[in-house]
Amino acid sequence: MGANIYKNKKPLFLFLLPAFIFMIVFLYFPFFKNIVDSCMKIKQLGTSGEVWNEPWYSNYTKLLTDENVRTSLKNTLIMTIVTIFGQVGIALLLALMVDNIKRGAKVFRTLFFFPIVVSATALGLLFNLIFLYDTGMINQLLTMFGRQELIDWKSEKWALFTMMLPVMWQYVGFYFVIIVTGLNNISEELYEAAAIDGATRLKRIWYITVPLLHNVLCTCVVLAVTGSLKVFDLPWTMFPKGMPLKSTFLTGTYMYYQTMIVKDVDYGCALAVMIVILGVVLSRIVNAIFKEKDY
Amino acid sequence: MKMKKLTATILSGVMAVSLTACGGGDNKAADTANSAATDTGNKAADSAEKAPDTEQAQGGVELEVVTTFAGNDGNAQTYKKFYQMWEEKTGNKVEDMSATADDTFKVRVVTDFETGSEPDVLFFFNGSDSNNFIDAGKVISIEDIRAEYPDYASNLDDGRIPKSWVDNKAYAVPVNGIWEAMFVNTEILDAAGVAMPGADYTWDQFTQDCQKIKDAGYTPIAAALGDIPHYWWEFAIFNYNTPENHLTVPESIEDEIGKGWVAGMEDIKALYEAGYFPENTLSAKDDETFAMFTEGKAAFLLDGSWKVNGIASACQSDPDDPSTLDTEKLSKFDVTYVPAKDGRKATDLIGGLTSGYYITKKAWDDPEKRAAAVDFVSYMTSDEVVPEFAQHGSSALKNVPEVDENVFNELQIKSLKMVAGSTSFTGPVQDLFQGESRVPTFDGMPEIVTGSVSAEDAVQEGLDIYWSSDL
Repeated sequence: MGANIYKNKKPLFLFLLPAFIFMIVFLYFPFFKNIVDSCMKIKQLGTSGEVWNEPWYSNYTKLLTDENVRTSLKNTLIMTIVTIFGQVGIALLLALMVDNIKRGAKVFRTLFFFPIVVSATALGLLFNLIFLYDTGMINQLLTMFGRQELIDWKSEKWALFTMMLPVMWQYVGFYFVIIVTGLNNISEELYEAAAIDGATRLKRIWYITVPLLHNVLCTCVVLAVTGSLKVFDLPWTMFPKGMPLKSTFLTGTYMYYQTMIVKDVDYGCALAVMIVILGVVLSRIVNAIFKEKDY
Repeated sequence: MKMKKLTATILSGVMAVSLTACGGGDNKAADTANSAATDTGNKAADSAEKAPDTEQAQGGVELEVVTTFAGNDGNAQTYKKFYQMWEEKTGNKVEDMSATADDTFKVRVVTDFETGSEPDVLFFFNGSDSNNFIDAGKVISIEDIRAEYPDYASNLDDGRIPKSWVDNKAYAVPVNGIWEAMFVNTEILDAAGVAMPGADYTWDQFTQDCQKIKDAGYTPIAAALGDIPHYWWEFAIFNYNTPENHLTVPESIEDEIGKGWVAGMEDIKALYEAGYFPENTLSAKDDETFAMFTEGKAAFLLDGSWKVNGIASACQSDPDDPSTLDTEKLSKFDVTYVPAKDGRKATDLIGGLTSGYYITKKAWDDPEKRAAAVDFVSYMTSDEVVPEFAQHGSSALKNVPEVDENVFNELQIKSLKMVAGSTSFTGPVQDLFQGESRVPTFDGMPEIVTGSVSAEDAVQEGLDIYWSSDL
């Protein structure tokens, strides 16, 4: 018998089966059921569709004419750009700076990573207080420095900024840790050799660090883009129902709004299908652009 | 000091009048509220010692019970106390699966009924939320239960037990009711030189008062129109209706009631344009504008009976400890009638008994559980228990207990007096106008008041959705 036991692959399938069943039951079946539901009339949450919509694709034509869908797609796109530059960009900057200090690097790592461990809902409530109109921290500070009129940070003019700032801030630490790990893998000898050749610190970063971090940055960007499509709890806590004037909807929050608040469940299903398609398309584009290199 | 029993009798009389008022309307009868007040403190101790006698109870039965008495609900502890007393008395067991009454909870209840895993007893809303499981015959009507248990809910006035919109039968045995009215920060009124509004308060007087308050540097109305426009929506429409026709959803904006709906929206828009709402009313959440009211920055607040305790909590140094109440601060709050316009009288209130105990068919068909479920509901809706839940609110009890003012705070007493002066209670028409049909005028309120959508278009769109819905 001996080593032959490893050639028998059958037990492997047995061990894979529970996970496979789990995926079927909780991911693939609901996904395909969701596609069917998006074409049916559903009375209310928790009930199944009994009759088909007329025409069956009516929810999809509605997607094309719904102004809020356009708003949510536009905002999601902005959120994607913000996450790429705001999260990965700032994380890279912070990581490079921390990499260049001799003492206290661990403290900064902990400090920057800390927001990740706080729930997004709690952060939403926290930033709600910070941006509060009447007694919010920022308006109090502005008043202290002599400003007469309060700023409504959640008004149409400022809403996107107020919503995206905490989202950006929360995940900087996550990418920071990934990039710092990547930086630690770059050999010190390369920097020493460059220094002997007379390269400035900036040049060393540009010609050594950034190229060698390419794959790490690609991973970060892919994670950031796919993550931006899933952002939900913090924006919903701060700006429920797309407040104000439905200007802050993201694809996720709009789907939730239609399903849970408006209770147009089948239209919510159609929005979910749209989000999946958007996710697949965007991640393929990002993967094509930020292809990892073999060194 | 003990409030005269006469007050309670008057209140019952008022409710009897309101019954007639609420008879009409879309065959979806409005419920009415008994405005009787009940004492809590001393009776709590009494009832703790003497449990109410109910029909029968066999030991050893485990009942699955789902209610909304959970989380921050003011009656969560009262519910727990009484079901534990029932357990002790009968030897039965309550498997309590109560949860806060939010959308998730409603979905859970609907899903449970869909999948056959409903509880034995359910305390739930009696409006359109219950239509599905009533339509599916998954709960037993009070009438059917009385065929076997004649005394079931016999201590309650049948006229005040709301009927289902599905078949006009009563299913849910109510405990405590609600009312909606206008809370007032009298400190701001004094500063602006405005008199406390009374029973004959008109819309014109109201707008004049708002202007005076605004001129004095305060915000006249605490409301988050972008978040919770519900109360203003309801009363603005009610202002053009009467208790008799308020619960009729118009077919279009062309009929009389439809015109009233549009006019109501226009009135809210006029208030917004006059600058009577907070500057951030479109972006603020309800709790922010409520804080403006309690912190003395806004004068009027349209809200429900549940806010009486909320305002008292805001006057406590420890929100959970009533003994830390700042009575002087609380004395600056009052409650009055919502200003009236063309239709209703100011003293016509929105209110009713909006929830109740259902016994499911699943429990009814189970020979072991049937008696226990009936006994449990009878116990929880007995003359001794209901006042503990209703407090300064309303109930459907036939025997209205005496009111001991000593157990109430000042705002609760003011509430009792305000309710005592009411002429009718009508259910909210928004309970009929659910889901997608609400979107153009509820979530679309900011668009209406800013003028990006006309009130006519918004109301008509909502009505079109309502009447085209075949669900």
